[in-house]
Amino acid sequence: MGSVKRKSPGETPSTHTPQPNKQQKNDTNSNNTSLTTNNQTDAGVACVHDVSYPENYVPAPRRSNTDQDSKPAKEFPFTLDPFQSEAINCLNVGESVMVSAHTSAGKTVVASYAIAMSLRNQQRVIYTSPIKALSNQKYREFKEEFSDVGLMTGDVTIEPNASCLVMTTEIWRSMQYKGSELTREVAWIIFDEVHYMRDRERGVVWEESIVMAPKNARFVFLSATVPNAKEFADWVAKVHQQPCHIVYTDYRPTPLQHYLFPTGGDGLYLVVDEKGKFREDSFQQALNALVPVNEKKDNGKGQKGLVNGRAGEDSDIFKMVKMIIQRQYDPVIIFSFSKRECEFLAMQMAKMDLNDDDEKVNTETIFWSAMDMLSDDDKKLPQVSNMLPLLKRGIGVHHSGLLPILKEVIEILFQEGLIKCLFATETFSIGLNMPAKTVVFSNVRKFDGDKFRWLSSGEYIQMSGRAGRRGIDDRGVCILMVDEKLEPSTAKMMVKGSADCLNSAFHLSYNMLLNQLRCEDGDPENLLRNSFYQFQADRAIPDLERQMKILQEERDSIHIEEEDSLENYYSLLEQYKGLKKDVRDVIFSPRYCLPFLQPGRLVCVRCTSSDESTPTFSIEDHVTWGVIVNFQRVKSLSEEDADKSPEDANYTVDVLTRCAVSKDELSKKTIKIIPLKERGEPAVVSVPISQIDNLSSVRLIIAKDLLPLENRENTLKKVSEVLSRFSKQGMPLLDPEEDMKVKSGSYRKAVRRIEALENLFEKHEIAKSPLIEQKLKVLHKKKQISAQIKSIKKSMRSSSALAFKDELKARKRVLRRLGYATRDDVVELKGKVACEISSADELVLTELMFNGVLKDIKVEEMVSLLSCFVWQEKLHDAKKPREELDMLFTQLQDTARRVAKVQLECKVEIDVEGFVSSFRPDIMEAVYSWAKGSKFYEIMEITQVFEGSLIRGIRRMEEILQQLILAAKSIGEVELEAKFEDAVSKIKRDIVFAASLYL
Amino acid sequence: MRGMDLSLNHTQKLRLQRALESLESGTNSNASVTVADTIPVNQEDGVLKGHGTTDLDGEVVATVCGVIERVNKLVYVRTLRARYKPEVGDIIVGRVLEVAPKRWRLEINFSQDAVLMLSSMNLPDGIQRRRTAVDELNMRSIFEENDVICAEVRDFMRDGSLQLQARSQKYGKLERGQMLTVSPYLVKRRKQHFHHLEKYGIDLILGCNGFIWVGEHVETKDNMIEDEPSKPDPKNNKSQISISLEEQEQTYTPLETRQYICRIANAIRVLSTLGFSITVDVIREIVDLSTSKGLDIHDMLGAEFCVLVAEKEAERRR
Repeated sequence: MGSVKRKSPGETPSTHTPQPNKQQKNDTNSNNTSLTTNNQTDAGVACVHDVSYPENYVPAPRRSNTDQDSKPAKEFPFTLDPFQSEAINCLNVGESVMVSAHTSAGKTVVASYAIAMSLRNQQRVIYTSPIKALSNQKYREFKEEFSDVGLMTGDVTIEPNASCLVMTTEIWRSMQYKGSELTREVAWIIFDEVHYMRDRERGVVWEESIVMAPKNARFVFLSATVPNAKEFADWVAKVHQQPCHIVYTDYRPTPLQHYLFPTGGDGLYLVVDEKGKFREDSFQQALNALVPVNEKKDNGKGQKGLVNGRAGEDSDIFKMVKMIIQRQYDPVIIFSFSKRECEFLAMQMAKMDLNDDDEKVNTETIFWSAMDMLSDDDKKLPQVSNMLPLLKRGIGVHHSGLLPILKEVIEILFQEGLIKCLFATETFSIGLNMPAKTVVFSNVRKFDGDKFRWLSSGEYIQMSGRAGRRGIDDRGVCILMVDEKLEPSTAKMMVKGSADCLNSAFHLSYNMLLNQLRCEDGDPENLLRNSFYQFQADRAIPDLERQMKILQEERDSIHIEEEDSLENYYSLLEQYKGLKKDVRDVIFSPRYCLPFLQPGRLVCVRCTSSDESTPTFSIEDHVTWGVIVNFQRVKSLSEEDADKSPEDANYTVDVLTRCAVSKDELSKKTIKIIPLKERGEPAVVSVPISQIDNLSSVRLIIAKDLLPLENRENTLKKVSEVLSRFSKQGMPLLDPEEDMKVKSGSYRKAVRRIEALENLFEKHEIAKSPLIEQKLKVLHKKKQISAQIKSIKKSMRSSSALAFKDELKARKRVLRRLGYATRDDVVELKGKVACEISSADELVLTELMFNGVLKDIKVEEMVSLLSCFVWQEKLHDAKKPREELDMLFTQLQDTARRVAKVQLECKVEIDVEGFVSSFRPDIMEAVYSWAKGSKFYEIMEITQVFEGSLIRGIRRMEEILQQLILAAKSIGEVELEAKFEDAVSKIKRDIVFAASLYL
Repeated sequence: MRGMDLSLNHTQKLRLQRALESLESGTNSNASVTVADTIPVNQEDGVLKGHGTTDLDGEVVATVCGVIERVNKLVYVRTLRARYKPEVGDIIVGRVLEVAPKRWRLEINFSQDAVLMLSSMNLPDGIQRRRTAVDELNMRSIFEENDVICAEVRDFMRDGSLQLQARSQKYGKLERGQMLTVSPYLVKRRKQHFHHLEKYGIDLILGCNGFIWVGEHVETKDNMIEDEPSKPDPKNNKSQISISLEEQEQTYTPLETRQYICRIANAIRVLSTLGFSITVDVIREIVDLSTSKGLDIHDMLGAEFCVLVAEKEAERRR
């Protein structure tokens, strides 16, 4: 994989020296770029241009169509940024390009040039995007510009024969599986937001589409900034045997300023200025201004201050918006991470009015002209009627729970500048360019399914990309509302960190396997071999090899005299330590030792070693003595702990002993236990029981109040006295068997073996050698290196094998077991049905169909049953559906359980009950009555879900039904086919399928 | 005796009979139905009625002759000696009947003619673009009437007609070989339908529609890189003619290969007469058998060889 690096003017010359054989290519490239690089005088907006060539690639002689090249396919009314013209040059040469830049930088220019070029050359071009809404918007944008444009999403199909087709990536994938004629006519494929490839669920669609794309097609990849763009391009170059350019820039047309807004405080603190400098001092100030919300923290949710505000005071968010408006930082987008929070925050703006009368009238006109297409009943929906007053005051809400039509109206109003303050969720940060002057993060923690975590720098970059309108604002403002102590390093990581890597999220699905098997030369293994996942795994191998080599050399360079006997001694030591530990574990299990942890007892505690990583090799441990003050049970966060028996819980013991207390720069105290004779403060520390070495039978009387320093000092003095008194015969210790009543066979055995080992030590010659300590350390290091080498070898083995090979085998086994494919990988009838189903769990649905479940039930019931396939949200207080629906649901669960069990038996990793409960009955009732013909407001009364989510669910069901129609056709079951068609006509009506405003 | 048309002498007849009887003993024949036979479904709920069945007065009735197949609750009838019934993804061999606007019509042994759209196959120059009027005019340079073509079943149109496609370079026109027609049920769907018999230098395509192609092996080339230099140069017409003469030289099929083609074709004919499934392994065996017996190509169609094959098959399956 050769690469030639070339930077545009304004950057320091590249230190990368091209290899001699690549020199020629470098020449050919610089020839054609010299045409356009002459207007790049702006030094600040440089970009990096790089090319990936496939192995053994012979550059084709330049086509003789230079006469065409001289005239660009499309002229732009503004001067192009360097990265744009670089990318367009690549297009002119007819080679694939990956453009990696911030959302606001203007990647669309490249896409529209590619479209213009294809249209000029009478070629077809496909534009794919991850989201339907984005496809709609882009369709409108391109339609205005080029007119010969069509749209294909799951919902609508417009002019499928147009030269330029806008579609979702899923549609493009299924077209490729079906061998649509497009695959033979398309010359350019544009993948927008290709970084979506790392999406856990859908990312694999991009990989499939790219791997299967026609070999002669060229690509345009538009992506957010990703650090490993080069790796991605290398992969494309390898899979498609064509050069792929990378144009990377992290240039922002409008620079950003990052501020902190501490909760409860009332000011902004500039943390990162527009030059990208992190200001430590004002960061500290901001943190100091944090008013502790409540002494009692509630597990990191910490939104109390944000939401409630203190009595009589405005909430923080209100103060914030007020300040923003006063400083004329509007329009502003306020991101929060849940739909409910979004709405809640918007409700707090009740007192605010940001629009003047003219704007109010405008807003109202736009709003009602959009709502015009709704029926009168739908206009009365609470969401619709509640929204208008808010919008008129210049405040908007944007999240996936809104009716699609409302969402679009709000987008339009925002673009028109009629919304000054928009409360949005993360989804708003993807897609069409809708910038604001200011972006506010109402929270820096996000719930990602199972826990709260800090926002990643990649997410931060994506969302902060909405700040700063090009050509209007000279800088964008980014405000983080901080409500918890966050370390400067975390904040720095978030604000200044690099973008997330583009990593493969490849996984197998049955639908994919069957579709691959169905083609004559389709082979799932081929897909796996060409996947980005495999590419990334392969790539790691040379690196691992290098690491291993270094380690091996290091290991071989270590020479030890008398290695054999030393090793013998070493292993004895290890055994000895292990046994000691076993014994301690028995003695100090709470069952035995708790009665003896009385205050005043002298204990032997291990010192905190200064360096944990180098273990000591003497038989003696570093120990010191102290006095027990108290002991307590460790409270863990989970509640289950409460019903653990006292024996199983963890305890800590408070011990008074000599400590070295030091403070580091972060004002964090570190306390080290040190021997009594050394200098240090007498302090009470809690140590886990495991750190206690021995219990003595001596108990001291300790002062009641240990808070004064003298009292502690005196107590320690007493300890020293006792120690010196017993120094000759040793401290009297509690005897485990006699005093502590330890009765355990394993304990006795261990003790006997320790005694035997101690004898062995004495006989051992080498133990007397003077440098034994150092020698053992060296040996220990050598052992560690060997272990490292072993683990690297293991990971190399796993990455050199075909990724997913075992899973592929297991999944094929499942298909055979259920009768979807034969032993020779020939797809059977059931497999053909499952091939058609890509929007729901293909196996469960096919099984349901073949078991005749769908045959005898009413259409409405069937639709209601299908709703379980599309609904994943968990509702807490959802009512159980009525009996006949519940029975169907039970049938579905049984089928799902059976399918899951078969998978488990075939060694596919699956959580059976988790799989079964992934089918949710929560919207069955609502969908049932929708299919019965109820009005939308009526079904909204039945269920507690968001309007937008329900609509998305029903739309997806229509998609499934269309797939089922095809499936029924392929098995020749006419009645079922008619039934599915009936179902489609029953659900496809009114507001649920209202056309997008962008169309 | 399956209506076989063979002139057998008495012993041969007996041998054949015995062989066939032993073959038949393994299969059960009670699952077969004729038109209007009731298919027992045991009053089960939710029975799915697939191809070849219909509902008549609450009973499931066969509409074709064949064998009942059940997949879970789906009941359908698999026809035996009927015309070919296409399924998406099948590899078929067909003969061009007509060059129509933007499409070719093909005979593929289906109840209708199949359609191969101009846009459903790669252009000879390998460039990805829309098909123009010029392409349409040049359609005859790609395929013309009576050409034999190999393609894949792509889709059924709304009116029930069939669309084909040629996904890659290995589909398309078949030359220098022979096409055989057998009953479609003899060709089972497999993962592979294209076979390259390296030993003989021969390509064998077992079309699912019962059309079988035996021809000289052609190397399918990836046209991506090689195509650039070999682009026809309009200014240099003379050299093109000389090339085409050379090409003619190259296209000559050696006698040996022709003999192999005939031998393999005859092996398939024997299988077809006997009504045995046709797979590449069986064909290989029969060819080997014929060469080991030292039989001439034309002798392979004789009664004696036929009986021999039947006996061998009976022995193999035992």
